[in-house]
Amino acid sequence: MSALPYAVWLVFIFAAVIASSWLLSAYLFAVYTGRKGRLDRLFDPIDNFIYKVIRADPSKQMTGGEYFLALLGFSALAAALCFIILVAQGYLPLNPQHFPGLAWDLALHTALSFATNTDLQHYAGETTLSYFSQAAAIQFLQFASAAIGMCVAVAVFRGFSGKFSGIGNFYYDFVRSITRILLPASLVAAIVLVALGLPQSLGGYVTANTIGGGAQTLDIGPVASLVSIMQLGTNGGGYYGANSASPYQNPSPLTNWLEIGLMLLIETSMPFLFGRMVGNKREGHMLLIAAYAIYGINLVVAFVNLAPFGPGIEARLGAFSSIVWTVTATSTMTGSLNAALSAFNPVVIIAALMGMFIQAAPGGIGGGVMYLLMYVVIAVFIVGLMAGRTPEYLGAKILPNDVKRAVIAFVSHPILILIPLALAFSTGAAAVAGAGSIPNGFTKVLYEFTSAAANNGSDFLGTAGNTLFFNISTSIVVLLGRFIPMAVMLAIADSMLKRTRSSQGGGLRTDNLLFAGILVVSILILVVLTFLPFIILGPVLSLLQGYNGI
Amino acid sequence: MESKKTATGETCAVKANGGKRALPLKHVLSESVLRMNPARLISNPVIFIVEVMFFIVAIMAIAPGLIPAVSSPSQQMFYVYVAIILLFTVWFSTLSDSIAEAQIKATADGLKQIEHEVKARRMDPDRKVTVVSSKALKKDDIVLIQKGDYIPIDCVVLEGIAMVDESLLTGESAPVRKAPTDVLIGGSVLVSDSLIARISADPGDTYLSKLISMVESTKRPKTPNEAAISTLLLGFTAIFTIIIVSILWLSVSLSLGADLSVLIALYVCLLPTTIGALLPAIGISGIRRMSIDRIIAKSGKAIETAGDTDVVLLDKTGTITLGSRTATEFIPLGGHSAKEMGEASFMSSWYDDTPEGRSIIALAYSLGFVPKEFHSISRAEAMEFSAVTRTSSVRLGRPNVFMLPKGGKGMLQRSRISKKYQTGKSSDDLNISKGAPDAIAQSARALPEGFDEKVSGISSAGETAMAVAVDGEIIGLIRLKDQLKQGIKAKIEAVKVMGIKPIMITGDQPLTAKSIASEVGIEEFVSKAKPETKIEVVKREQAAGRIVAMVGDGTNDAPALAAADAGLAMGSGTIAAKEAANMVDLESDPSKIIQVIMLGKQLLMTRGAITTFSISNDVAKYFAIVPVMFSALPVLGRVNVLGLPPSVTVLAALIFNALIIPALIPLATRGVRLKPRSTMSIFLKNMVTYGVGGVILPFIGIEAIGLLIKAL
Repeated sequence: MSALPYAVWLVFIFAAVIASSWLLSAYLFAVYTGRKGRLDRLFDPIDNFIYKVIRADPSKQMTGGEYFLALLGFSALAAALCFIILVAQGYLPLNPQHFPGLAWDLALHTALSFATNTDLQHYAGETTLSYFSQAAAIQFLQFASAAIGMCVAVAVFRGFSGKFSGIGNFYYDFVRSITRILLPASLVAAIVLVALGLPQSLGGYVTANTIGGGAQTLDIGPVASLVSIMQLGTNGGGYYGANSASPYQNPSPLTNWLEIGLMLLIETSMPFLFGRMVGNKREGHMLLIAAYAIYGINLVVAFVNLAPFGPGIEARLGAFSSIVWTVTATSTMTGSLNAALSAFNPVVIIAALMGMFIQAAPGGIGGGVMYLLMYVVIAVFIVGLMAGRTPEYLGAKILPNDVKRAVIAFVSHPILILIPLALAFSTGAAAVAGAGSIPNGFTKVLYEFTSAAANNGSDFLGTAGNTLFFNISTSIVVLLGRFIPMAVMLAIADSMLKRTRSSQGGGLRTDNLLFAGILVVSILILVVLTFLPFIILGPVLSLLQGYNGI
Repeated sequence: MESKKTATGETCAVKANGGKRALPLKHVLSESVLRMNPARLISNPVIFIVEVMFFIVAIMAIAPGLIPAVSSPSQQMFYVYVAIILLFTVWFSTLSDSIAEAQIKATADGLKQIEHEVKARRMDPDRKVTVVSSKALKKDDIVLIQKGDYIPIDCVVLEGIAMVDESLLTGESAPVRKAPTDVLIGGSVLVSDSLIARISADPGDTYLSKLISMVESTKRPKTPNEAAISTLLLGFTAIFTIIIVSILWLSVSLSLGADLSVLIALYVCLLPTTIGALLPAIGISGIRRMSIDRIIAKSGKAIETAGDTDVVLLDKTGTITLGSRTATEFIPLGGHSAKEMGEASFMSSWYDDTPEGRSIIALAYSLGFVPKEFHSISRAEAMEFSAVTRTSSVRLGRPNVFMLPKGGKGMLQRSRISKKYQTGKSSDDLNISKGAPDAIAQSARALPEGFDEKVSGISSAGETAMAVAVDGEIIGLIRLKDQLKQGIKAKIEAVKVMGIKPIMITGDQPLTAKSIASEVGIEEFVSKAKPETKIEVVKREQAAGRIVAMVGDGTNDAPALAAADAGLAMGSGTIAAKEAANMVDLESDPSKIIQVIMLGKQLLMTRGAITTFSISNDVAKYFAIVPVMFSALPVLGRVNVLGLPPSVTVLAALIFNALIIPALIPLATRGVRLKPRSTMSIFLKNMVTYGVGGVILPFIGIEAIGLLIKAL
């Protein structure tokens, strides 16, 4: 079987995604820079009404600290609300199946996980959550957390660019992200998905009489609307426990590839937006090239070994699209699944882990490009010195404080993965969840915390993770994994905002392919240095032991 | 010193005063051992951790069964080896510090020889002279300095003109002429005449003692880039600490059989020991190289900023040109012969003790245009240059007794000439005047044919014309040319290649300025500059987001020097200028700004190169050690790329890690090679050498050491 048609198909898909992202970025630029447009007549009254209700002054420039506190406060409020909804869902409307409220630790884990755009699910939605919970808690958080990701990215762009008077106002960015970008985009996506066969109903589960004479419960609900924002906002928390392997979430190859495109769409447009905001589109293009190069490497790694898989691949979707889906979902921090991870060859798991270790290829909504800039600061600093000048990015000198902050953001990732990983095995908590063995159990637990720290949500433990230890530990990890890097990157952006910019550009140039190449190599070296022993103890060991499927 | 040759030539070896001296080996060795005291090492966290690891392994070597979960008595010899190598790793680091410190101490000692105590003649207000020690002098004291005296301390000339030998300080062998308001630097020697001078600094506050204290000071604040690298290294240390602790923890929980000593070996290999060990030495040697060039940097930051320069302001006079015009041609006009013209010029310049005047005499003499009226010149009446008429003139009368002309540089030449041409035939009074063409033309009876064309022809070539008139008749023009300083073209070319824009500042007319600028390859220049022009240019360039370096010596330059990002004041300049600048060159060579820029770049590159090398090295060490780390997982041996037995691999990696430190000491103290090339090509070359090389070299090195251990 030749690999060529598959490669051509992938190139076609990526070309389509990149072209749409490029178009989208022009719209995003207009939205975030407040450029006047025809749609203002529709959106301005809505936005102004919201500002009035929340009593926010959208024209006030915030400092990095204010911006961070605003988004942290909002996230906390949203998470608290959802925690209450989940615990109390038995008393709330739109619950035709009469599901009871969730246990406090599972509710806490779920609320925090969705509020941080992680969407780790230690439950199966169709047997746990009411329509109201799915819509008011899950879907609400999926919109909010995606919008926050975009806000932070845009605020960071403003700081790095140095062409803006401030890093912006959180409420302004947030409201516009929701009303002008995410709501319209997911509405369009949902309509298309309904047209392609996804259910959208609040009418309760349907019982159908099958040809065989038996009765089957069709657990349908408001699926299309949730799926559209879950993919578009790189959330990944599905309606069903089987996520996108379920035919209701992902009925056909067409929806499969469309949903892959949705996962990539906004995050791919972010580097373009960056280029527009810093006033040099090539800077954005190079970031995009670096991100896609790593994404491409991940895909290649996943296809290195085509040995037979274990059971768990959806036959109707096929191995090829399942692997591409999995690598994309982990490279974009969506984390949705269309096959059981245990069905994959360890190389696919390695590729998935790489995506989540790096977090920037192309990464989660907003977060991905933010991490990319963190790597840029570190890489420019290390290698830029060799050009014989104090390293600069976009004309701004990289100061000791920037290096300190970028390193904090970078170090937080391995800390949040490795400490709980070691704890899980030393306390025996891994064994309780049926994952106490090496290499298989080790891989699952490593994957769980990596997914949590990267705010990905791709889930290897599944409902087995519904233990007190994993619910609490991953709750902490998703919180810190989300907010430490955001705080740090906002601080860098804030301090870069007013920094003197050199115009000569006499040092290392960052808008050419050489730099994109250096960035890719630096990122790979940094991540390999940090995680190699753990990849070796997990999937590499499985591979060496000749074990296919974990 | 190869790297220095490009910019400075060979002078440093002569001046280094101990740079060539053999280092006190015994002292270096004992100092390096003393520095291994943990209390002293704590300022270098990476190396401190290595030492802590040494103590842990040393305990394991003494009592191998102490921690049974992660060690085994059968490995006792292995623990001994690991402990020894770790100890050497620490020692190599302290050794590199000690060598750099010893080098710089040798340099400081050389400087101190200059600043020894001498006798000085202090003058009271009533001009009474008392002999005191130079240490007893205070600021604003008046001293008398006679021929053969050492200048006791930095001072400013009040009276007299004399020649001073500054070679001890600058290595420049020709004596320098010093006149009132000139600055004398302590330690130089008066070789002619005598001077009265006012002390400008208290002992211990002179520029020489500043240079020595810069060299000797052990508490240098970290430069911004050093601070950033230290932060980065701490970050890497944190990451590797977490990794090793996690592996240890997991290995115990899952019984993977990782030995603590192997984990420690991996830890030490991964830690950025190379750059951690060499970072202090790089900074120290940078200061040392500055001091060899006799430049005082008020902070390490100043040197770094110089490396970032985008724009460098160069004074035309003194930096690009010698500052004096030289006569190159006599152009006779109005039917006069070249000989007539030359002889008139000769006489008109006899009392003109400016470099221009001297060069006119030299040219006339070399062409054989020595006037027969020469005898009468001794009693000629000289009218000095007047700002009103912008001319100078000589009136020749009857011959008289020959008198030697005044002192000065042309003295020897003149006495030779006057011996050759003794008194002869007399002539009538002659009035020869010389000056700017338009000034002479004003007082002339008529303009000879082609006068204006010739004058504008000369100035459009960037040269200066001087007209000579005899009794009101213009007989010709003297062509005067600005002489370029030796090697300046190459220096400017180097600056441009590295992406730095030179801007020439001159008070000349635009045409003259343009001609000089294009001769040395400068595109941008400011002509008709006024004293405040420099600060305007500095501010303009900075507003455009550029880092500006400049040189200055006058009080006029002080505001611009203070505003510039890198300001280099001349040691011979005014005190205001020296206070305002962040660097002072005791040799007073303005083109040295280019050298400072190069040194700044070289320091940054060296730090970047060794950091990159250090981090790239880790890739190979990882791939060497991790496959052999878990004795309970022999299946990992299938990815053991080096194919060596586990204990040999670990020892080989550790030995490589230790040896790379002394191997790079010369690189750290000498700096990476820097040829003036475009920034990107310098970067690429370094990236390939230290980045790619840093990934590949350890694979080869560890394999080679491993095979050697196996063979033993």
